[in-house]
Amino acid sequence: MILTKAKVGQTHEITKIEGKEKVQRFLFSLGCSEGEKITLISILAGNYVVNIKDGRYAIDEAMAKSIVLAD
Amino acid sequence: MKIALAGNPNSGKTTLFNALTGRTDYVGNWAGVTVEKKEADLRKKFSEGKDTIKIIDLPGAYSIAPFTGEEAITSDFILDDAPDVIINIVDGANFERSLFFTTQLLELNIPLIIALNKSDIIAKRGDEIDLEQLSKALNCKVITTTATSESGLIQLMQTAIQLGRQKGGQTPVQMISESDVVTDKERQTFISGLSKSLFIKKKASHHITLSDKVDRIVAHKYLGLPIFFLIMWAVYAFSIEGLGGYVSGFFNDTLFGEIIPDALNGLFESMSLNPLLHGLIVDGAVGGVGAVIGFLPLIMVLFFCLALLEDSGYMSRVAVLMDRYFKKIGLSGKSIIPMIVGSGCAIPGIMATRTIEDENEKRITSILTPFVPCGAKLPIITLFSVVFFPNSSWVGPSMYILAFLLIIIGGLLLKRLFVWENHTSFILELPEYKVPSLKHAFAQMFDKAKGFIIKASTIILVMNTLVWFMQAFGWNFQPVDDQSLSILASVGGFIAPILIPLGFVGWQLAAASITGFIAKENVVATFAILLATVSEDALHMPNGILTTLFNPVTAYAFLAFNLFTPPCFAAIGAMRSEMGDRKWFFRGLGFQFSVGYVVALLITQIGSLIFYGEYAVGFLPSLFILAFYVVLLFVLIKRADRKRIV
Repeated sequence: MILTKAKVGQTHEITKIEGKEKVQRFLFSLGCSEGEKITLISILAGNYVVNIKDGRYAIDEAMAKSIVLAD
Repeated sequence: MKIALAGNPNSGKTTLFNALTGRTDYVGNWAGVTVEKKEADLRKKFSEGKDTIKIIDLPGAYSIAPFTGEEAITSDFILDDAPDVIINIVDGANFERSLFFTTQLLELNIPLIIALNKSDIIAKRGDEIDLEQLSKALNCKVITTTATSESGLIQLMQTAIQLGRQKGGQTPVQMISESDVVTDKERQTFISGLSKSLFIKKKASHHITLSDKVDRIVAHKYLGLPIFFLIMWAVYAFSIEGLGGYVSGFFNDTLFGEIIPDALNGLFESMSLNPLLHGLIVDGAVGGVGAVIGFLPLIMVLFFCLALLEDSGYMSRVAVLMDRYFKKIGLSGKSIIPMIVGSGCAIPGIMATRTIEDENEKRITSILTPFVPCGAKLPIITLFSVVFFPNSSWVGPSMYILAFLLIIIGGLLLKRLFVWENHTSFILELPEYKVPSLKHAFAQMFDKAKGFIIKASTIILVMNTLVWFMQAFGWNFQPVDDQSLSILASVGGFIAPILIPLGFVGWQLAAASITGFIAKENVVATFAILLATVSEDALHMPNGILTTLFNPVTAYAFLAFNLFTPPCFAAIGAMRSEMGDRKWFFRGLGFQFSVGYVVALLITQIGSLIFYGEYAVGFLPSLFILAFYVVLLFVLIKRADRKRIV
């Protein structure tokens, strides 16, 4: 399942990050990588607000689609 | 000794830097405020005298491998410039993530000390971190700090200076890796393990908080934009019409309009001073600079309000909100931050485009950022709205709405005119909301006020003296009786024909616009000087002396012309250095000039037809110019389309 399909408030484990390597590396430095947990907090004006470790981030739909979660 | 501050974005590096050095550099509660490295001497109370210690503030980074331009500054500096000590600011509000960068910094063999910052937030959340174990696991000292209240800083600096004097290296951390090179994956595993054993969280962070609930309203699909406009309107109404405008009105009308000139006139007459020198001081220096300094209260109130707003954490939400609209013009929400910064001054605004990773998105943003009316343009807006629209409060806000529209239209046009591949991705950290600090807002306000006074007493004063001289003397360097025979008149007259299609008749208007490129406040100052010889009244009187040069429609067009043509020279220089490409730079300038020119032309010509039922001056030439632009756009878009297909 990809992040855009997740329900608000649910926590999932990340199984894979797709897309450009540079973006993958960046997400990795935030702690957004395989095996980590991610929570969808809200969907605001087309952006996905997520919780990764102790941080809140807004990511756009394209990036949200590259985050694959365990079902 | 050089001590560098390194850490994640928005972890409080600049707040710490300001506290350590006594500077008042720009701080905001969002990621990516600092975009260049800054150096200053450590304050005496921390340095214990003897040797000077330099503190270097670096832009925030999540990792030593750079993702955006300003992150590259940080890794370049640390790798090439080898500071004596690194103070790694670990964000207490985001402990585990911060340690990733820490483990990378620990491998550089530069003595490192951790400042566990925002310790007040850790305490407030009720979390606990075992500092002793952390220090042992990472082989480095850990000191808790709260940069905003300066707690822990003396201890931090003592330890850092001591480390620097020992000139030792840094023992890297033994992670699980068997090979010499630690992979990033191993780093994360190490950090997770470490964090589990020494970091006790009272409450998991993935629960919906009050902050999240506020976000759902202020960044709401439909409500978000009206809320943003309402907030900005309130800020500007309070600064321009409210308190700021009230005090500025007194400054302009009474202080610089009557009290000071009257006193000086009396004094000089009793001294029977040379009338030319008398004119230079009263009409040139005092009149010109006074016309600008009068706006100081207004600018101070505005920056006070903006500082409070920024400190609250709201601006990151605006970026999220705008992302949707900006995506349509080939940009992303990241572009809004340079524009918000640009509402103060376009130069730091243009520099803030460094946080944008995509090169083309960065260029387009730096072309569009100067459209946001900056602090220097406020005096022009206020002067014209007071004189020509004394009973309406819509003129100021309308300029900001026009700016917003022009940014959208401009973006759409640039997207059609130039070919570039667009793969912008948007990600932004959302800091927790906080009660804005009054101390911070006052500091920012006085810092801006200082800058404004310095500018007025240097570049604007010099320019005013020059303008006064040029309007009082002819080419033979003899005083002229008739201003229209002066040097300024002939220089302005040279440019003036270009402005006729815009309905601007007279060399004075051209002269004022030219001086505006040196600094935008000069537009106001130049009118003050030029009209001082014609009338005794202050420039700012409703329906005052300026009405001899404009009617309300052309006044509004002149406002738009000065706001949306290329910014002042300093900002043009910033554009040039940030774009790093001559071709793009000239395209940008050409685009800005065309936008300002066409917008002013349309306002004058259409406005005159609607409100006065008559053709404005230069109606015929304006048709030719419009036709020229339509053809030009058509050709350029066709050309770009062909390139896209190939």
